[in-house]
Amino acid sequence: MKQTLKILKVAFQAINKNRTRSILTMLGIIIGVAAVIMTISAGEGATMQVQNQISGLGTNLLMIQTKSEHKAGINVRMGKPIYKKDFEILQKNAIYMPNLSPLLAIGAQAIGPDGYKSTMVYGVSYDYFYITSREIQFGSFFSDEDVKTAKKFCVIGQTIRKELFPGQDPIGKQIRIDKVPFTVVGLLKEEGSGGMGQDMDDIVLAPYTTIQNRIFGNRKRGYNMILASALSEDHIVDAKIEATELLRESHKIKANDEDDFEIMTQIELQEITSNITGVLTLLLGAVASISLIVGGIGIMNIMLVSVTERTREIGTRLAIGARESDILTQFLIEAVALSLAGGVIGVALGVIGNQIIYKVTNFYIPTAAYSILIGFGFATLIGIVFGYFPARKAAKLNPIDALRYE
Amino acid sequence: MPLKKVIETKKISRVFKNGDIEVYALTDIDLVIEEGEFVAIMGASGSGKSTFLNILGCLDQPTSGDYYLDAVHVNKLSKNQLADIRNQKIGFIFQSYNLLSRTTALENVELPLVYDRTGRFSNSKELAIKALGEVGLEDRIYHKTNELSGGQQQRVAIARALVNEPALILSDEATGNLDSKTSIEVADLFVRLNNEGKTILMITHEPEIAQFAKRMIYMRDGRILTDEIIKDRSTKESALKDLELTAEPIE
Repeated sequence: MKQTLKILKVAFQAINKNRTRSILTMLGIIIGVAAVIMTISAGEGATMQVQNQISGLGTNLLMIQTKSEHKAGINVRMGKPIYKKDFEILQKNAIYMPNLSPLLAIGAQAIGPDGYKSTMVYGVSYDYFYITSREIQFGSFFSDEDVKTAKKFCVIGQTIRKELFPGQDPIGKQIRIDKVPFTVVGLLKEEGSGGMGQDMDDIVLAPYTTIQNRIFGNRKRGYNMILASALSEDHIVDAKIEATELLRESHKIKANDEDDFEIMTQIELQEITSNITGVLTLLLGAVASISLIVGGIGIMNIMLVSVTERTREIGTRLAIGARESDILTQFLIEAVALSLAGGVIGVALGVIGNQIIYKVTNFYIPTAAYSILIGFGFATLIGIVFGYFPARKAAKLNPIDALRYE
Repeated sequence: MPLKKVIETKKISRVFKNGDIEVYALTDIDLVIEEGEFVAIMGASGSGKSTFLNILGCLDQPTSGDYYLDAVHVNKLSKNQLADIRNQKIGFIFQSYNLLSRTTALENVELPLVYDRTGRFSNSKELAIKALGEVGLEDRIYHKTNELSGGQQQRVAIARALVNEPALILSDEATGNLDSKTSIEVADLFVRLNNEGKTILMITHEPEIAQFAKRMIYMRDGRILTDEIIKDRSTKESALKDLELTAEPIE
């Protein structure tokens, strides 16, 4: 123990003696560790934002839609569409899903008195507002009665208001969608951008009955999906089983046949997105790690130069009674100390960098604790791996030759 | 009571192989050096004196023959054991001092104690200060090596060779890099240390420095040519006087 302390002191003296060189050597590790921490944290931050967004959709959300498959980048529907009949069966029989809403989506131009905007128009029922927990800023939602009687009412998002009614109160005014006039009854609270970057305020909500009758007319068309909320978080699985059973019955699927629809719960959605962002984080982290390895090579290079430069010192130490292991330890500690010191500075820089990004872009990056551990652990590992070869070279020097080295 | 044998070599040879050619650097050397001796080894380059010193200093092993250092049979020791023997029994002094640069005199002198594994030295700092006192550098303890003159640096090196209380002090051309006056001072320091009981073996090619020793060995072609007691040993005073005489400008 005492011996180790003495060797430790010797190593730190050597680092201190060549301060400029030591700092330059550390720079590779500093940048590498900071990069690892910042990229991993950025990935984590993105994940968190997406997750929040999904939670914002309502924690007990279920999405029921026709089975689709990706073919050459296009979503191709595989199963029977979901029709009004399916929705009614669910509405009548479901115990675990108190709120259900069809969702009819259509991309259309919304035209106001002072502007227009291409947007997504969603035909939904009154339950939609419960399911997604979106709130109204001004006015009100359309009511159950409005949906039943297919009133030409709509609720708009903030982006639509800005484009169509700049500086005006939109409530009570009219907009036209696909030549059909709708009266604006409510304005949604601002939600901001979604996890995937889409604008959650670029939206028009109208009774699904109205969309079905007025815009699709006689065209027989299934719902894009049915949104439902489970009784509680504990009943999400029950709700999924219930919906599956009811829909299988409704679609007359035989016992051994596969479902022709998909039910995704909010938890599953979170899992999928966290998988995607996880892969992204890993990829970014891997790229950043390469800079750490380059830093490690820098350390090896400098240590080799240092060993050559200090050949006589090594010879003297050996003559005076240092064992090979003493020399090995000394140089290894030097390398590890260099990379560790670089690691510490890198961690500090990474954390500060995250703060700066937050200040500048408002994108909150929580510094992931494990990214610090990874950065630190990696720095140590690199010190040992890339320090070993030069240290071994030093230890294996022949004292007689080393003493004569000019 | 017979004096302790610090060095005893029996028919030591050292052969270097260069391809198919065998070169005898040392041939059948028998030598005994007892405690308290002050021996100078002289010889031309290639006489084998450096090879001999390397073996005596446990930096190298003889090809054949036996070597006992302070009653330890050195031949069959492992690398680590050799390192420990060097640490415990030998004090090295080199021609170019071999001090750690930009390091204080004190830290340099403490260096052998860093590698001590016997635990016989409890306070390395005190011991280092004492050793620096013995070489007359008590007021240079915290000076860094680059702030010291050549003579002072060599005295730090001598203190470093003393600090572990070795059985034998080995000096390899200790005065080779010093001017004549400083060389005499270093040689005089050897004499004083020897008077205090230290066993010293020095290699030199300067006859006037060798003249300070008690016994002179002359080597040639890997063998001991002469081995005799020096009758008219130099002292600091006589050497300085000789120096003045030779320094007279020639008209």
